[in-house]
Amino acid sequence: MPIPTHTDLVAIAPELILALSAGLLLVVEAFMPRLRRYLSELTLLAVLGAVWARLSFELPGIVWAGMLKIDELAAFVDLYILVAVFLTAWMAGPFLRRTESDYGEFYSLLLLAAVGAMVMASSLDLLPLFLGLELLSIPLYVLNAFLRRNPISVEAGLKYFVVGAFASAFVVYGIALLYGATTSTNLVAIGAQVVGGGGLNPLLAIGVAMVIGGLAFKLALVPCHGWAPDVYQGGPTPVTAFLSTVPKGAALVVLLRVVDGMDLLHISPRWVLAAGVVAVASQTLGNIVAIVQRDVKRMLAYSGIAHMGYAMVAVIVAGTEGGAAVLVYLAAYTLMNLGAFAAVALMSEREDQPHLIGDLAGQGWKRPVVALALTVCLFSLAGIPPLVGFTAKFVVFRAAVNAGLVWLAVIGVINSLISAFYYLRVVYVMYMQPLPKREPSFAPALPISAAAAIAALGVAVFGLYPTGLLAAAQTAILGLVR
Amino acid sequence: MFTEHLLSIVILAPAAAALLLGLIPGRAVRLHRWLALVVSLVVFALSCLLWTGFKPNDPGFQFVEWTDWIPQFGITYHVGIDGISLLLVLLTTLLVPVVILGSWTSITDKVKGFHISMLLLTTGMIGAFAALDLFLFYVFWELMLVPMYFIIGVWGGKRRIYAAVKFFLFTMIGSVFMLVAIIYMAWFHHQITGVWSYDYLDFLHTAPLLATSGGLLAPGLLVFSAFALAFAIKVPMFPLHTWLPDAHVEAPTGGSVILAGVLLKLGTYGFLRFNRPLFPDAWDFFAPLIIVLAVVGILYGAFVALVQPDIKKLVAYSSVSHLGFVMLGLAAGTQASTQGAVLQMVNHGLSTGALFLLVGMVYERRHTRLIEDYGGIAGVMPIFTGIFLVVTLASIGLPGLNGFVGEFLILAGSWQGHPVAVVFAGLGIIFGAVYMLWMVQRVFWNPLVHEENRTLSDLNLREILSVTPLLVFIVWIGVHPNTFLSPMEAAVRLILTR
Repeated sequence: MPIPTHTDLVAIAPELILALSAGLLLVVEAFMPRLRRYLSELTLLAVLGAVWARLSFELPGIVWAGMLKIDELAAFVDLYILVAVFLTAWMAGPFLRRTESDYGEFYSLLLLAAVGAMVMASSLDLLPLFLGLELLSIPLYVLNAFLRRNPISVEAGLKYFVVGAFASAFVVYGIALLYGATTSTNLVAIGAQVVGGGGLNPLLAIGVAMVIGGLAFKLALVPCHGWAPDVYQGGPTPVTAFLSTVPKGAALVVLLRVVDGMDLLHISPRWVLAAGVVAVASQTLGNIVAIVQRDVKRMLAYSGIAHMGYAMVAVIVAGTEGGAAVLVYLAAYTLMNLGAFAAVALMSEREDQPHLIGDLAGQGWKRPVVALALTVCLFSLAGIPPLVGFTAKFVVFRAAVNAGLVWLAVIGVINSLISAFYYLRVVYVMYMQPLPKREPSFAPALPISAAAAIAALGVAVFGLYPTGLLAAAQTAILGLVR
Repeated sequence: MFTEHLLSIVILAPAAAALLLGLIPGRAVRLHRWLALVVSLVVFALSCLLWTGFKPNDPGFQFVEWTDWIPQFGITYHVGIDGISLLLVLLTTLLVPVVILGSWTSITDKVKGFHISMLLLTTGMIGAFAALDLFLFYVFWELMLVPMYFIIGVWGGKRRIYAAVKFFLFTMIGSVFMLVAIIYMAWFHHQITGVWSYDYLDFLHTAPLLATSGGLLAPGLLVFSAFALAFAIKVPMFPLHTWLPDAHVEAPTGGSVILAGVLLKLGTYGFLRFNRPLFPDAWDFFAPLIIVLAVVGILYGAFVALVQPDIKKLVAYSSVSHLGFVMLGLAAGTQASTQGAVLQMVNHGLSTGALFLLVGMVYERRHTRLIEDYGGIAGVMPIFTGIFLVVTLASIGLPGLNGFVGEFLILAGSWQGHPVAVVFAGLGIIFGAVYMLWMVQRVFWNPLVHEENRTLSDLNLREILSVTPLLVFIVWIGVHPNTFLSPMEAAVRLILTR
């Protein structure tokens, strides 16, 4: 390995800033007790620094001897990961104080996980990709179990660990097979061999399937979705917000690189069928099972499964149009999910009890700002215009229709219809049912309300003016391997 | 500058006012009421400027505004009105202040939320009537859904949540397929012209080229059906009407008035604006089916209305019947029947809107809507009785009032091609007279048996003021329908020749 050049280092400046801050936060925690109260704010500063670095330094393209590609695509993904980390860290402060688990490790782990996701999404090579995947996953195992006196949080951490390790094994075995089949771990080289050299041989096909299967666990696609409801329900809500957006985003970008690099849409008709079945099954199962959930977080877990099903439709289409649709969907999904989870984090009394939808009765008039933010996010998740969730679905279904996959679009809209039912239920519980006799005592917390409100505002603004988001996604997608 | 943006101002002013109301604390109840009323009156005044500035002989779209919205996909903010939309926009802007004034004392809880919902709804309705880009139309179309959901669900009756969710899901069933159809049409337009566009005027050239031969799965027929389903649910056409009685009965008075007065018209408007000119071949294919369903709706609505014990439910089913006439006029497709249908949309908005308003007024006093709980109140509430009678006569089509003109044009215009349908529809008029007059008789003239009814107070000034504008137009259209028929004549002719 050659010595890293100046360009290499500047290219990963945001990752470096976050990783260094992660270490620094541990030092602050240990040796500067007076600063402990401001750990959340310090994390926000670090994230802002990373955002600044990503926006101000130029994007060099392929660096680190062909392992990473820092281009508009990486910048797009980095920025949305950073937004997610920012909102998560912001709402984590009051949440951790309320649950008496305000330790610095939380923030360092969060930052490290973000670095992992960023590395994963900008990898051109399977080895840094795996490194990123592990760096993302291991902190999340700990974070999910962070409320260590709360058994369901520990259970969530354990479940995520077991399933995550299993998925990692899939990925690493797939990587080994791909290397065996092509003598390369570079996605560009592998893609060139597949596209140029007569398609998938069995070894290659199994390797690709295992990598994609491992990613499907991270994405919680059917049939690899079983862990999601329990982990969502048990983990600390800010962690759930992070978990439901960042790993999925990174995994989707990797998936897109693999699918698009090997041109699976045109090379393998079986892939279109298999992925189509996965997409439809995820949407349908996610939406139908979400209807019967009584816990908001479990409901959002199933809703997340369904949403990854919609995103899969765009992955199948791939190319510039499908790719851009994936990115738009990611950005939209991230904003609305973070907003929803922030609202849930605020409107909860105890973390060791289920977050029942019924507990929200009457909150629409009691806490207008947070309830409105949650309502906006839920309507957006249901795909009601003019919110960004609608724009995202429109872009995905448009890509499907333009690629001749009208049936996927039709199934997609039928699923939106089903999903409207359970999103609406939360809304009517909040606005149309009276406050219960024993009012739940939700501790007010300005940062959490602010995070929810900002996410909801983003949902509305990007819904009304999607041009900038679309343009960014369309530019970014040009940087895909092919 | 002002006239250039006049239409956009009319569309967006209510939404802007809703944002403003959002910033005012909910305690200032009177401020919310007055502000919403003033804004809606200003919007009505502005829409009257649209009316006076409208050139009646020009069949095309006027007050057009056209700017990029999402240039990547060729989506534009394109609005404009022709004679048909003009009348419906006027109907909308007239009904909103009426509703706000009419809800003055009946909405006492969460006043702020009610007025915000009502103003957002106004933007959605006017926008949907004026949108000329199908993506924009879809956005406005769905935008109406959310405030109406809240209006029914928060301020409605006992089973309001059931009714609100049913309303939302029924409407969404139709609209999601319309979304796929719109996307498909844009793709088709791109295949032919190489340009991405969602514009109505562009689709007028390419959508008729969609193949309609080759069985029921031909793209032209499927796309037509997707639009037709969305609109037929909204109208509502038999057998998709089941959400309507629930929504009407549970909605607060203001919600019912807007629902009957405007929202249902969006369905019939959609048929006329989109289905008819965009898919002429599919239209011819499906017209017999539409006529049959329309006539069935006319008779079914009338029969079911006949046996309703609840006044509001009776009026709701009468809507199914009346909208059947509109659909018959549209499907018959002659100049006279189509103009009659458009006029009948306005008529139904005025008279049924007024009926719901009046039922709401008496409900506020007596807290019941059952016909059997009334009787003999003509002597107790003479002003109310007089107004109710005028509106009833308008609704059943007495010459000299508005309903007669519309129904006459529809039946006369449909006679050439569809005499059998006209005969059955004529029966519907007779039944309409029967159930309305029978209800009036039981409510107002039967002996006064319930002591509570003896002390009912007659309408106060505010209530009279709120219903008067509707009476003015009811008489105006009845006496001089040409004021309203002439602006739409050219526009209707243009649509029918496509």
